Amino acid sequence: MPQNETVQDLGLDEYKYHFITEDEPVFRSGRGLNEKVVREISAQKDEPEWMLQSRLKALEIYNAKPMPTWGGDLSKLEEVLDQIYFYVRPQEKMERSWDDVPAGIKETFERLGIPEAEQKVLAGVGAQYESEMVYHSLREEWEKQGVIFDSIEDGLKNHPELFRKYFGTVIPAADNKFSAMNAAVWSGGSFVYIPKGVNLDTPLQAYFRVNQEQMGQFERTLIIADEGSRAHYIEGCTAPVYSTESFHSGVIEIVVLPGAHFRYTTIQNWSNNMYNLVTQRAVVHEHATMEWLDGNLGSKLTMKYPSCMLVGEGAHGSILSIAYAGDGQHQDTGGKVIHAAPNTTSSIVSKSISKGTGRSSYRGLCQVHEGAIDARSNVECDALLINDTSRTDTYPYIEIAEKRSTIGHEATVSKVGDEQLFYLMSRGMSEEEAMALIVRGFIEPIAKLLPLEYAVELNRLIELEMEGSVG
Amino acid sequence: MAQSPSSASLSADALVEGVTDALNAAAVANLAAREPAWLKARREDAWSVYEQTPMPTTRLEAWRYTNLRKLLKLDSLALAAHPGGVPVPEGASAPEGASVPEGTSAPEQGALVSLPQRLEEAMAEDRAASGHVVELDGAVVHVDLDPDLAARGVILTSLRNAVTDYPELLEAHLGTDALPATRGKFEALNAAFWTDGVFLHVPRGVRLELPVRLTRHLSKEGEAYFTRTLILAEQGSQVSFVEEGVSEDFARQTFFSSAVEVIARDGAQVQYVSLQRMGSGVFHLQQQRTLAEKDATLDTLNVSLGATVARTDLNAQLLGQGANSDMLGLYFAEAGQHFDHSTSQDHVAPNAKSDLLYKGALDGDARTVFRGIIKVHKRAQRTDAYQTNRNLLLSEKARADSLPNLEIEADDVRCSHGATVGQLEGEHLFYLMSRGLSRTQAERLVVLGFLAEVLSRLPLGGVVEKVTRIIETRLANHG
Repeated sequence: MPQNETVQDLGLDEYKYHFITEDEPVFRSGRGLNEKVVREISAQKDEPEWMLQSRLKALEIYNAKPMPTWGGDLSKLEEVLDQIYFYVRPQEKMERSWDDVPAGIKETFERLGIPEAEQKVLAGVGAQYESEMVYHSLREEWEKQGVIFDSIEDGLKNHPELFRKYFGTVIPAADNKFSAMNAAVWSGGSFVYIPKGVNLDTPLQAYFRVNQEQMGQFERTLIIADEGSRAHYIEGCTAPVYSTESFHSGVIEIVVLPGAHFRYTTIQNWSNNMYNLVTQRAVVHEHATMEWLDGNLGSKLTMKYPSCMLVGEGAHGSILSIAYAGDGQHQDTGGKVIHAAPNTTSSIVSKSISKGTGRSSYRGLCQVHEGAIDARSNVECDALLINDTSRTDTYPYIEIAEKRSTIGHEATVSKVGDEQLFYLMSRGMSEEEAMALIVRGFIEPIAKLLPLEYAVELNRLIELEMEGSVG
Repeated sequence: MAQSPSSASLSADALVEGVTDALNAAAVANLAAREPAWLKARREDAWSVYEQTPMPTTRLEAWRYTNLRKLLKLDSLALAAHPGGVPVPEGASAPEGASVPEGTSAPEQGALVSLPQRLEEAMAEDRAASGHVVELDGAVVHVDLDPDLAARGVILTSLRNAVTDYPELLEAHLGTDALPATRGKFEALNAAFWTDGVFLHVPRGVRLELPVRLTRHLSKEGEAYFTRTLILAEQGSQVSFVEEGVSEDFARQTFFSSAVEVIARDGAQVQYVSLQRMGSGVFHLQQQRTLAEKDATLDTLNVSLGATVARTDLNAQLLGQGANSDMLGLYFAEAGQHFDHSTSQDHVAPNAKSDLLYKGALDGDARTVFRGIIKVHKRAQRTDAYQTNRNLLLSEKARADSLPNLEIEADDVRCSHGATVGQLEGEHLFYLMSRGLSRTQAERLVVLGFLAEVLSRLPLGGVVEKVTRIIETRLANHG
């Protein structure tokens, strides 16, 4: 690759979300995870007793479960976890107007362009800073139609029955070590309810920001899309770059009731010192559709496999995953679909790009239970390797117990072709431009499903990352 | 702290999984008693690896879908009688009245009365061969080789005889480069307990037109058998090796472990075929590793039809530039059968190619697992590696799991993999039925056509016809 000054001068491959806001949290737990921290969190939130008990039970499960030995390298994680703050409360209460959000925090979100986007294209916005939602608002027209878009804490307070009916049912604490951790220390996240038949034509958005050093963020989101409703939820994540590692472990539970259509988009751009271990799962009922759009660009290590449990006849699940692993990054991502009812269909499309010493792994599960007749699933993985130090893996699990089903998995791995580059360069493009164009073409199927400003952002990011990378 | 000796030994035993009344250090020492020092040491080392390696559980990726706790009863096994130190007369009849043919086209020339019927049947078709080996209950009882080939330096002999006759070759290659005991629990168990097997050495430039055939039979239930195959093909040589295993049907679990090492030196062309047709009650474990050096072609075909539980591990090493491995597999699992094929394509050298195709049909409550991995190492640029697994479910109760994995660390590669699980295509059946075939006939044709793709890629004499006939019989039962 051309190691010339131009590339250096451009200051590329720089993480543009690195800025730190000076502010004093109003409360911070001690370091590490223990019963005291769990009780403190519950007390800070003034929770009902059942929730405290549920947290303590989850802590026991967390302690009993061994650290996973598959996926990414978690060998240093215990040390990291001993050092981080599990709960940091940035302000006294959540606000409904940006004007009331403390100046430092507001400035952070302004730099991230959130208030501006809210005005232009979003139906509602939630902003999480450290451990708490600092801002939440929903357009009046949707509120009138009965849409609930609130912090998870307010969901528990204001809609206790609905909350308790679904909380922890899609992802029980015992699902895995990190879902147990989240169930013990969760804080922040959204509670969303889309009433029957309501069609939200602009997206809801939640933005997650970690500002403090050595901090753990554990948001918990519960979404219920009632019969025949339609909505799109977007989450974005960033953090400043510190020399020590931070930790993010969210749990997202979605219930898609009969005939509903729900899309959940993640554009994860954590700084490269972040462990990002997230459990996301949707239960999809009769003739409902769940779409996961999962963009993983940041973090040191991400382990995240959005899942669809297709429990109702004719349910459809789709997972579109794009991963970008730059120097030192490992994106261990993919998706799971479980066909537990007849005539269910699913598709997983995964695209990954590995550059420098980056590693991207596709890990997926396609399971067809006995009796899920005429289930159809197709999985496609494409991996692009930019340098000879990059690495890619594909680990699909296909478990089929029903004869009347059609399941396919295909994967290809390729290098950006010399011929492709040569062709574009013969048309007057520089090598870097040509590379960026090829990569953009590669991720296009995903970019075109994103709201415009995200697609533009994604493209810009890829372009930035690609410069100076041609090898 | 004052523990009674018995409780101390009990807890020590509990730590060493898989040590039984039959399989223990004393039994290893007994086997090694009259053997040369290097082999004795190798068995002892293997045994200590075995002792130190925990029994694989389903928590291990490689054993995720095959639960040994449920499927393997090591405690109940007896160790098959050691064939003893008496060398087998080469090219002559076997001891103990098991009279076996002489010469290349011998099966029906000699007196075959005392051979097990299933073995006779298996051998009846295998006339055309460069040489034969017959293995009964873990001991080679007959070896013959075309005298011209013997004159040109080809060695075909029992492993026990080879220890005496070719000590340098064996010490250098048996359980060293290809399948050392350190690779795992069962590799170690075999290395500690093997009683016999085959050694085939093809010298530089020698090309064998007809295959070498090994036929084995197991007759005693409740026993554990351990044999090995070592094939060493020198530069520019060519050889095909076909091994076929049959047995009685057993009421008690019978364990058969086979370790296969195939080494193809620069430019050598080797075909290795395993045809597994064991009876019910057999736990069939085969561990194969192939090493393909520069410009070598090393193709394999694994056909799994028999046994109650059959696990095959195949690791293909592409060690030299221009090496090429076609890896074919075919399985047809019926009610009560559990097959697990675990393959890896290890691209160590640049410019090598591997192409894997495993296809299987499942009937009854059969369960099959395919787990494959293509691993492209950093310096293996310009690798071409492909992996395909296709499964056809013929019954409501069958279950197929497929895990086609890729791990790629070089950037200039062409790799792809695919896996499918499906049922008979209605349209295919409809088309054939519209031409006047009955549904059963149409089904048979479609399944045969599905599986025939594998056989057509390695059309070794005799194997295609034999396998096709077995599958036809099975489909007739299915109908």
